[in-house]
Amino acid sequence: MSRPALLPLGLGLLLALLASGGAASLLWPEARVMDTPRLLSLAGSHARLAVIGAGIGIVLGVALGLLVTRSLGAPWRRPVDSLAAAAQAVPPMVAVALALPGFGFGAAPTVIALVLYGLMPVLRGTIGAVEAVPRAALDAALAIGLTPAQILRQVEWPLVWPLLLPALRSAVTLAMATAAVGALAGAATLGTPIVIGLQMQNEAMLFQGAAATAALAFLADGAMLLAAGFQSRGALPDRR
Amino acid sequence: MAAMIRFAGISVNFGDGAGLRDIDLDVPEGALCVLVGTSGAGKSTLMRLVNRLVVPSAGTVTLAGKDIATRDPVELRRGIGYAIQSVGLFPHRTVAENIAIIPALLGWEKRRITERTDALMTMLQLDPALAGRYPHALSGGQAQRVGLARALAADPAVLLMDEPFGAVDPIVRRALRRELAAIHRETGKTILLVTHDAEEALELATLLVVMREGRILAQGSPLELTAMAADPFVRELLGGAGLPLRRLDLLHVRDAVRPGEPEAMAPEIDADASQLDALRLMLEHGATSLVVTEAGSAVGALRFADLDGRGRT
Repeated sequence: MSRPALLPLGLGLLLALLASGGAASLLWPEARVMDTPRLLSLAGSHARLAVIGAGIGIVLGVALGLLVTRSLGAPWRRPVDSLAAAAQAVPPMVAVALALPGFGFGAAPTVIALVLYGLMPVLRGTIGAVEAVPRAALDAALAIGLTPAQILRQVEWPLVWPLLLPALRSAVTLAMATAAVGALAGAATLGTPIVIGLQMQNEAMLFQGAAATAALAFLADGAMLLAAGFQSRGALPDRR
Repeated sequence: MAAMIRFAGISVNFGDGAGLRDIDLDVPEGALCVLVGTSGAGKSTLMRLVNRLVVPSAGTVTLAGKDIATRDPVELRRGIGYAIQSVGLFPHRTVAENIAIIPALLGWEKRRITERTDALMTMLQLDPALAGRYPHALSGGQAQRVGLARALAADPAVLLMDEPFGAVDPIVRRALRRELAAIHRETGKTILLVTHDAEEALELATLLVVMREGRILAQGSPLELTAMAADPFVRELLGGAGLPLRRLDLLHVRDAVRPGEPEAMAPEIDADASQLDALRLMLEHGATSLVVTEAGSAVGALRFADLDGRGRT
């Protein structure tokens, strides 16, 4: 088990415990708290929305990143980067609000906000990783007769994807933390107890939602670190 | 011999004054053609025309009698070995996988690929234990050898080499040069090699091409180009004041020997030695003539006055 993952995983579990119905009723004996099964079901749909949003953002960001680093896509690089930066600059809450009229209440505006929010780190990470591929290897690949598709598949991609992991990690973690805003559009997320808590001036529920959201973000971060640890241990062992 | 590579009326226009002008050159089959010149002379550009990394603005390049503009670039490139100074090994592939890349793309059987890889590693004196290592673990000289093995893997008839030994120290460089000469002798491949090192050019070339500012200034055998009559720029580039000595290095004692007795106590030299070695021996011993031997027995004498063919007319 990789050491860096221990801290976020431990913090995540601790926050999850504090968010549970039992702990909350101990901390706020007077208040009405959200029970654990309800919280868990909200956490499930929260995680699902975050994964869908981050997943689409990742696929889109990687695809755009690869596209604008082809010679044909090079003219698009600046506009695409500016758009991604603009998308990142829009606060997710505003994105949800803007998406509401077109996409109605529920999951869709949330996913759109998450995609927009996660796009830039993934796009920039991809472009950076592609640019880190040694120039000489690409020149040689072309000169000895690899097709552009073979260069992408056999030379660039194997060198690019290990460098993408940090960007993917921040995309997933960001999405986990941000998905709470979906509650504003009526999506079932861990933002729901926060919204209820605000409306009813119920500190306990407010705390439960916040702690559970943070718990999910930490757990996702830890899980990504674990995956990265496995990846780097598998990278470039001398064979034979 | 038929021309393996023919450049006819080639111009390349990069739009910035650089490029190539009016290039006509025939590289015979089996030649080791060395392009030499100052940087920016267009050597690499001329070489890169052959596998269509550069497209001419005018003229044609034919390879084995066929206009390369009519050929699919990918298929063309797979049939041409390519080795460059920066090597460009694939960092995520093992040494063996790097060497095998073109055979693998050509769909060779696994066993044939392994046999070929092993044979090339032996030929280029690479420790078999390196086969499973990654390029980051190689020394500069080893990486150059792997690059050369990759270029030779699919047994191409033509090999393009751009400063292939540029990034290694002089000792390794000389060793690699000797190996390349041996490979050329053994395989009879047509090799086009770019260098700015005149010593390397004179040692390796069967056809030497001197370039300057996008034009061919002179072409011929090293002996022809080092002759006194050659263009002053050519002479300067090929050795300047040291040129007479480099020329002696190209000549054999055998070609200057004449029958008869040398002076008494003259040192001995083998008929296959270079005339530069003969001069060195004369200087060391203060002698003006040498006993020339072949397989141990004297066959004649070499006089100082006969060095570089000056004795006969």
